[in-house]
Amino acid sequence: MTTHFVDLLDALRRRSLRMASHVEDILHEACEAVFAADETFARRVVARDQAVDSEEVEVEAEVIRLLALYQPVGSDLRLLCTVLKVNSDLERVADCAVNVAERSKYLRVETVLNGDTDLQEMIPIVRNMLRNAVQAYGSQAETDAKKVFQAEEAADALYGQIIRRVVHDAAEHPSRMAAYLDLLSIAKNLERIADHATNIAEDVVFLSTGEIVRHRKLN
Amino acid sequence: MVDVMEPQPLATVEGPPTLLIPRPRPRRREESAKEPVEPVISVQGLTIRYGSFAAVRDVSLDIPPRQVSAIIGPSGCGKSTLLRAMNRMNEFVPAASASGKLIYRGRDVYGAGFDPVDLRRQIGMVFQKPNPFPKSIFKNVAWGPIINGYRGNIEELVERTLIQAALWDEVKDKLQESAYALSGGQQQRLCIARAIALNPDVLLMDEPCSALDPIATSRIEDLIDELKTKYTVVLVTHNMQQAARVSDRTAFMYLGELIEVDDTQVIFTKPGNRKTQDYITGRFG
Repeated sequence: MTTHFVDLLDALRRRSLRMASHVEDILHEACEAVFAADETFARRVVARDQAVDSEEVEVEAEVIRLLALYQPVGSDLRLLCTVLKVNSDLERVADCAVNVAERSKYLRVETVLNGDTDLQEMIPIVRNMLRNAVQAYGSQAETDAKKVFQAEEAADALYGQIIRRVVHDAAEHPSRMAAYLDLLSIAKNLERIADHATNIAEDVVFLSTGEIVRHRKLN
Repeated sequence: MVDVMEPQPLATVEGPPTLLIPRPRPRRREESAKEPVEPVISVQGLTIRYGSFAAVRDVSLDIPPRQVSAIIGPSGCGKSTLLRAMNRMNEFVPAASASGKLIYRGRDVYGAGFDPVDLRRQIGMVFQKPNPFPKSIFKNVAWGPIINGYRGNIEELVERTLIQAALWDEVKDKLQESAYALSGGQQQRLCIARAIALNPDVLLMDEPCSALDPIATSRIEDLIDELKTKYTVVLVTHNMQQAARVSDRTAFMYLGELIEVDDTQVIFTKPGNRKTQDYITGRFG
């Protein structure tokens, strides 16, 4: 029975990692959409998000089934708790990516940014955060997770700068207000994705050490 | 997350709408330090041999008061031997010998001049298989106090004890009937009542539910939870889920050695030792 359970856990873990990789791809497409002003990107991202939604439900159902039938403890329990939490974060990341793509459909971002590079800088930071979080989830290595924590402040700082810039520019160009709101929404969703990546990294620390590091900073 | 309100580099801007400001994450929580507690029983470097075979090897373990301490481990790991050492029940086994110390309330149980009968009054025991006396329910509970010279109202004591053992409602109308007429679960609660009738300090329980069905097991577990408010309980169990459900501390033994002891929650979520991890997740044992 133990071997059977170990196999089930392993299959679930691989399934969750596949979903993580899928979500990474969706974010990649959404970020491409920001500068493309192309509806087809957005449509593709929305379609891929639907697959993530149904996968999220199935992974969650499997976690609940394993918890109920096998009453795991120790590292097995930590793995199932982590899969459940990461599952939810991944689904939210995909939703945020959809929002980014949707808001990018009609946005002439170069005009709105007016030479400002904060958004261009923020996008790779957020993408790297998610990539490192997913990598940490795969390797269960605390060192990979720490890379995510280190990038979090940079993403937050850039988001803050974008807000200040938009508030300033919108006052000068009120006719562009709709575009500014799109831009703010994109930045906000990217900032949320950075938060979800941080959550995933925190869950990886729990998975590997049993320590709950949420709401506190690692050295 | 950082507060984007500071600093304000653009002089003309009063600040972004507050809804847009990321909420800062709360900072580090301080872990609360635990107060050290004087143990009721302190096992110090205890080795117990049956002839030349060391069933328990150099074990050191503190049993804190008014808590349930569980000892888990595979068959033959020495957990029952360690439990029986706590009230010197191993002395009934030929060729058993002990070295090291077992301190109960400041005195070495294996030291000179310690009366084992007196010790067993203080440290009662409940066994794997219910073993009531071939007497009435009433006499099973009253026997111990009477032969120990109890001078109070024995009816009151029996009633109080059976209430404590969560058995009174089921037997109050048939106290004079044979204890053997009770179900297995009721017999086991009667044995617990018999043990607590002497108002012991510590209750040792050796697999108290292994012969019981799930409902009777659940009643004993509820009872153990009640008992720990008044007594210190040490429980040996094969059932890891039972240890997880009822105990505050869990000790894991393997091949006669104490591998790890910690709060039960820690043992079952993040054990420090690989062997403990493998055992609780069923990888061996």
